[in-house]
Amino acid sequence: MHRSLFNILSGRNTRQGLWGLPLLVALLISLWLTVETTQFATAENLFNLVAQAMPLIIAAIGQLVVVLIGGLDLSVGSVISFTTAVLALDQPAIVLIPAVFVLAAFIGLINGLAITRFNVHPIIATLSTQYIVLGVTRILRPVSGGTVPEIVIAAVSGSFLGIPYPVFWGIVVILAAWKLLYGSRYGLHLFAIGGGIASGAESAARNFGVADRRNIILAYVVCSCFAAVAGVFLAGRIVSGDPNVGLLFELDTVTAVALGGTQLSGGIGSLHGTVIGALVMALLANGMNLANVSPFVQTAIKGGILLAVVGLQSRKKMGL
Amino acid sequence: MAAVLSNPIARRLLRIPPSYFVFLVLLATLWIARPNMLNLNIMGIFIRQIVPLGILVLGQLVVMRVKSIDLSGGGIILLINYFISSGSFPGASLPFFIVLALATGLVIGLFNGFMIGNRRVSAVIVTLAVSIILVGLVQFLSSGNPPGDVPKLFNDLYNTKFLSVPTPVLFWILLTALVWLLLSRTVFGRYVASVGENAEAAHFSGVPVQRTVILAHTLAGLIAAIAALVQTGSIAVGSVRVGLDLPILAVAATILGGVVFGRGDGGVWGPFFGALCFALLFVVMTVLGIDEPGKLIAQGVIILGAAIFYGVRVRAP
Repeated sequence: MHRSLFNILSGRNTRQGLWGLPLLVALLISLWLTVETTQFATAENLFNLVAQAMPLIIAAIGQLVVVLIGGLDLSVGSVISFTTAVLALDQPAIVLIPAVFVLAAFIGLINGLAITRFNVHPIIATLSTQYIVLGVTRILRPVSGGTVPEIVIAAVSGSFLGIPYPVFWGIVVILAAWKLLYGSRYGLHLFAIGGGIASGAESAARNFGVADRRNIILAYVVCSCFAAVAGVFLAGRIVSGDPNVGLLFELDTVTAVALGGTQLSGGIGSLHGTVIGALVMALLANGMNLANVSPFVQTAIKGGILLAVVGLQSRKKMGL
Repeated sequence: MAAVLSNPIARRLLRIPPSYFVFLVLLATLWIARPNMLNLNIMGIFIRQIVPLGILVLGQLVVMRVKSIDLSGGGIILLINYFISSGSFPGASLPFFIVLALATGLVIGLFNGFMIGNRRVSAVIVTLAVSIILVGLVQFLSSGNPPGDVPKLFNDLYNTKFLSVPTPVLFWILLTALVWLLLSRTVFGRYVASVGENAEAAHFSGVPVQRTVILAHTLAGLIAAIAALVQTGSIAVGSVRVGLDLPILAVAATILGGVVFGRGDGGVWGPFFGALCFALLFVVMTVLGIDEPGKLIAQGVIILGAAIFYGVRVRAP
């Protein structure tokens, strides 16, 4: 018992990465906020917190899928903005909602194909699509405006049995991701490919009969689709299309993933860790807002956390 | 496809950095669309605008040769611009600001290098995080508003000409030549090349891999500081936005110039023309009436196109 607890806290000898420590941090922040402020531990603030954290949780799960195979998707933020812009196009919801996912999958497909078929580094490939998608978004919607379909707004703002809808979004998304990562052959293959890449044996998975290229392409498609879900959620929250709503989301998702103990070199990481990482980020934002910290300083602090978390991970490779 | 790529002539052509082709295409486009713009005075002004980018490219190409990347240039430029324009150092002279800028760049570059070379943290993450910390800090210190004015001397220096060529352009060419000498004529240059080719082999051949990576990043920080000084001279006011997209453009120009992670076929002059391509690209797009979103898309397409160009070539037998 003692030994396994130690293992969880240190993240040693496990494929899940270090996720116990961030959980502890999350609990400590919550405790501190409960003691320091009267507003924190109210049902209203907690539900609000869930709603605020939800886009990050959803997008970070998508990022996790890509990070597990040793990649990185920097186009997440643009895809989120793009999704809100498309949703605000003033077409019937029956057209827009499927369109959003088809377009997001297409962006992921381009990322995946560039990386696997054309040998482009993931960072360069997703950086390019980040720019292209941002450009298209700004053409569709130069400044924020328009209205998203009624059904999207209703899907995030209502409540059922006193529990607001965002909580259900979280449950559905996490269950889907759980099935994908831990309940399917695809999830197993992701860990296999990533583990091989992290240990420097890039063709290890292929040699054991895992279709690595196809699975890597699929990982980028999945990541983009999760970003699109986050975009739909955000569009419902802000009720309009906004070309800047996804700004810096790619960094926040990477921070959340890294905070959750996932190794950026691939192969090691966990869904629960990522969700905890995203929650820590949301708790920090909530706490800093309650403590009236300037938003600029909040950005700087987020950068500092990212630096600290990734600085503590050890890896073999130097450079990118 | 494979047969075409293994053809000797095609392979020869693929060795030439894409920036030269793109440069010629853009020049031809401009010549067809607006022939009267192709004179030394007008082009001098356009090229002068791109000098901060061109200088930043020099640092980027050194770190990309050692399979790393530096995206912190935007933060460095913003911080140095803030130092100069905020009036935090009343009555300071030009040499003081130059020393301050270089020291800032040196410290940030050294930090990047330490984190990447010693702690082995992903370069993208470190330099992006450093950049957003610096940007957040500057925006907090200036409360989101542009700080004050830049001492007049900066802009005066920026506006000088030598034999009808703007001095910033000459300065850029001089710096490029210096980096070219550094990479082709010194031991450090050889170290950089060997670390990029194969870090493990370099390590076993006695190359100080870690020190080379740290030095490359320190140099990139220093060069970013120089770019910041030129950029501050060019806009002549304080700003909380200046130079934020420069690091990405620098990566694009470097790839376009034939330097991709670990491979330096384009040398120093390939990326030099890569930066010139962006000068021309902005002119062409302005002439053709394409605005901001179109520019973003063009940047993305160029980065992806150049990277695919190289990816395909690496794959070729």
